[in-house]
Amino acid sequence: MVRVEHLSYNFGSQWALKDVSFSLAKGGFLFLTGHSGAGKTTLLRVLYGALPLIRGRAVVAGFDLGRLKRRQVPDLRRRVGVVFQDFKILPERSVFENVALALEVRGMGRPLLERRVRAIIRALGLENKSYEPCERLSGGEQQRVAIARSMVVNPELILADEPTGNLDADLAWHLMDIFKQFHTYGTSVIMATHNKTLIDLVPEAEVLHLSQGMTVDGQKAAEAVGS
Amino acid sequence: MSAQLPRLLLRGVRDLGLHPWAQVFTLTAVTMVSLLAGLFMLLLYNVDQELLRNRGQLQVQVFWAPGTDMDAVRAQWTGLKDTPGLKDLRLFTPDQALEDLAGALGEIGDFSWLKGGNPLPASALVSLSLPKGEDPRAWTRDRIAALKALPGVDKVHYNPLQMELARGWMDLSKTVVWPVIGFLGLVVALVVGNTMKLNLVSRRDEVEILYLVGAKPWFIRCPLLAGGAVQGLAGGLLSLILLKVVQEAVKNSLNFPPLFLRVDFLPLEQAGLLLGSVALVAVLSSWVAVRG
Repeated sequence: MVRVEHLSYNFGSQWALKDVSFSLAKGGFLFLTGHSGAGKTTLLRVLYGALPLIRGRAVVAGFDLGRLKRRQVPDLRRRVGVVFQDFKILPERSVFENVALALEVRGMGRPLLERRVRAIIRALGLENKSYEPCERLSGGEQQRVAIARSMVVNPELILADEPTGNLDADLAWHLMDIFKQFHTYGTSVIMATHNKTLIDLVPEAEVLHLSQGMTVDGQKAAEAVGS
Repeated sequence: MSAQLPRLLLRGVRDLGLHPWAQVFTLTAVTMVSLLAGLFMLLLYNVDQELLRNRGQLQVQVFWAPGTDMDAVRAQWTGLKDTPGLKDLRLFTPDQALEDLAGALGEIGDFSWLKGGNPLPASALVSLSLPKGEDPRAWTRDRIAALKALPGVDKVHYNPLQMELARGWMDLSKTVVWPVIGFLGLVVALVVGNTMKLNLVSRRDEVEILYLVGAKPWFIRCPLLAGGAVQGLAGGLLSLILLKVVQEAVKNSLNFPPLFLRVDFLPLEQAGLLLGSVALVAVLSSWVAVRG
């Protein structure tokens, strides 16, 4: 599903990623860990085409990012769902409208679109808030809307950047349950987090620890995450 | 794409309600700039109309030499009726000229003692209109030369200022008015364009999210262009309404002696031109803004 080889990325003279390599099989779960500024977000941004691939090689959902043209970026993003710490939803629009957006851009017909949006909203326990503007929802509910929007298209891969970072522990656990559920259905997940408790919730997941843009070997990673 | 197009355009119109204050400010800016352009057009139109009433007219007085045979003069008068561009022709025999002079002088104009020895010549007052596309100076020169060449004609009087005024207006149109219109159009485009761009800044998050979920550029641009077109049309329409209000207010403010100037509203085609131009500029500006 994802193969990254010797990936490096710099902002001016500052290296954000240095020689990062890893792979994730279809249906796999990978945690990206590391302190703030370690390069987790930069790596995710490269993977969903928000930053260009400068050095190294990366293949995501069949797209070779080194050869990806600008006009092909929407095609990549239609195969990959992205969830952010700050939700990135449209606050003045309703839950339904936010979730439907992901299907509308694909030109899906209205009847099918409505069925799928209602189904995902129900699955995430938001059916009573379908027509409420998102700005009136709690943080946990807004994050569920963001997850629903990324999942409604049945993506092959979900990239989640600290999705529980703004939520309290109970909500974080609940959201992890949702991610695990989708993972069970075969969706691959790459999640950036520095919360060890969340990592423990998915024992089968792989962990890639980043420090100053570089991958850290397993033992040091375990120590770093533990700390 | 074509199946989605009407829905996207409709969404663009509907989305205007999502950021009402930003839209109000944009609309106000577009309306004010369009009004400025409209006021200039109104001024130009009325000045042009006023000059049209006077310009392009050549009034020539033709005097035949005293004692010229009146039959020959009458034959020439018949020929004068076929002069190209003739608007009016008033003919005076020496007796009619004397009578006209006496009438004009009133009580003191008793010239009965001149009967039989009238010193006035036969004359004609020829009013000509400048045919479209003719150069006023060359045309005037040719007309005067043709009248002077008539047998028995002694003098030809005319006011060269009339033609100079027409020529001056044509020169002014070429050198000043059109560049000013072009400049004003550029200002409208820049103001409307930048206002549209600022309006899009308020929707930056929305655009970013649409890109994140895999929207293609046309999916994002169509509603924004539709919104821009509506803003342009609404702004143009509002500016026309305000222009009408201004015109009604000043309509008769210069309509007094000796000016007798009436301020008329723009003709339909010019009003349509203003409306269409503003809408077009708004769409083009939105296009440039969303391309960024």
